[in-house]
Amino acid sequence: MNSPHEHRHSVVTGIGVIAPNGANTEAFWKATKEGISVLDAVTREGCGDLPLKVAGEVRDFDPGELIEERFLVQTDRFTHFAMAAANLALDDALLGRADYNRSPFAVGVVTAAGSGGGEFGQRELQRLWGQGSRYVGPYQSIAWFYAASTGQISIRGGFKGPCGVVASDEAGGLDALAHAARTIRRGTDAVVVGAAEAPLAPYSVVCQLGYEDLSRCADPARAYRPFTDAACGFVPAEGGAMLVVEERSAAEERGARPRAVLAGHAATFTGAALWEESRQGLAHAIEGALADAGCAPEEIDVVFADALGVAAADRAEALALTDALGGRAGRIPVTAPKTGIGRAYCGAPVLDIAAAVLAMESSVVPPTPNVIDVSVDLDVVTGRSRAAELRTALVLSRGLMGSNAAMVLRRCDKSPS
Amino acid sequence: MTDRLTLDELAALMKSAAGLTVDPAEMADRPDTTFAEYGLDSLGLLGIVGELENRFGRPLPTDAERAKTPRDFLDLVNGNSDSSGPGRGTARAASDTVTTTGA
Repeated sequence: MNSPHEHRHSVVTGIGVIAPNGANTEAFWKATKEGISVLDAVTREGCGDLPLKVAGEVRDFDPGELIEERFLVQTDRFTHFAMAAANLALDDALLGRADYNRSPFAVGVVTAAGSGGGEFGQRELQRLWGQGSRYVGPYQSIAWFYAASTGQISIRGGFKGPCGVVASDEAGGLDALAHAARTIRRGTDAVVVGAAEAPLAPYSVVCQLGYEDLSRCADPARAYRPFTDAACGFVPAEGGAMLVVEERSAAEERGARPRAVLAGHAATFTGAALWEESRQGLAHAIEGALADAGCAPEEIDVVFADALGVAAADRAEALALTDALGGRAGRIPVTAPKTGIGRAYCGAPVLDIAAAVLAMESSVVPPTPNVIDVSVDLDVVTGRSRAAELRTALVLSRGLMGSNAAMVLRRCDKSPS
Repeated sequence: MTDRLTLDELAALMKSAAGLTVDPAEMADRPDTTFAEYGLDSLGLLGIVGELENRFGRPLPTDAERAKTPRDFLDLVNGNSDSSGPGRGTARAASDTVTTTGA
């Protein structure tokens, strides 16, 4: 039976990035395209003596320039990133209050988060144990909550449509986009969606030290080299991306430029640190995303890989691509720009989605920094970017706790107008 | 210096606890403007109450965190409220002997 919502397609109309290699979308894309690595020694206060030596820090970011002080004092750095990225995305989409003032319920917000506000939480816990409970500020009750960014973006922008938070591991970044697309199919016009994380504070870093897959390497050029024999784990990063995703005809009606369609998505779960099992899970997610998009395997022009940097996981990812895409998998350009900035947990796949949209628009596959001598049977783009006509991109993400997700993006054909 | 709260001090607390820039002269001129209109939410006011309780070393009247306007809040904190309940006199009496140090 035909649902009235059957033909509501979700398109990306705005991209906002706060990343280690650029605190705006243009800087991020320029550095990404050029394959510049910004992995560097950890410099955040209190982290110096910890065994994590290299990370992707966002250094070129002054939240006070972009966010009102009243929002800053009650939020953690991860929400500062998300609010700033949302600003950039809304500006990029030319979606302003005048567009939704009369129908604020037509705009929703969805974010994914892996860890919430660790830095804010640490400060307040130090007050609790150092001075006593009377010295813990009330904003602790909301700031370290993983849902804070959705709430604050909604309040600040006056978005009163369906809001949500996805807690599904790193792959939740893609699941959040899928949730936004579902929200749009059900009748909402626009969703501000994405993820940003701030895992580089002492408490948060200590929490990550339990991950066997975290790279302890102190050399920024060697710390994160997936798909090679030298792979020694992943480097964490902060930052992320927010997008404006809109129902296509609503976007076109207000004169916005549809840039890419969120064409298909699927997610699976195969258990924590069971990387061999992730082969099947990831392959199943890819097949599901292709089916959801009505996309044949041979239509995929580029793959943005999860690229964990752990031998068993990298091998599983390469095999999953072959399982799902067939023999052609070895001839599709595969890239992992995150090797130049680190993995920003839930923010990582959203940064990859942003890069994929920009790559399709520029007809160029960005390279995989720091990766040389690829040891898996994939055409990993290393060294320099590669020119290619890109109509359809596949973005993959896996979480350390066992979530796998795949998303198919299609470039929007140049508008006739 | 006593622990009577002034509008200047309240404005400073609204800045430090809730990130709000409010002109104390405006609060004096427009005493009925609500905290909400200045952008102060309930958690922000709770933070100000907590800060004052730590500073004064005594609890504020229980209604302080529910005050709607700066004037109501100052009246409660400074013990000028017409509607003082049973507990409030005690708090006021106690406050007479407490002075803030270094504030």
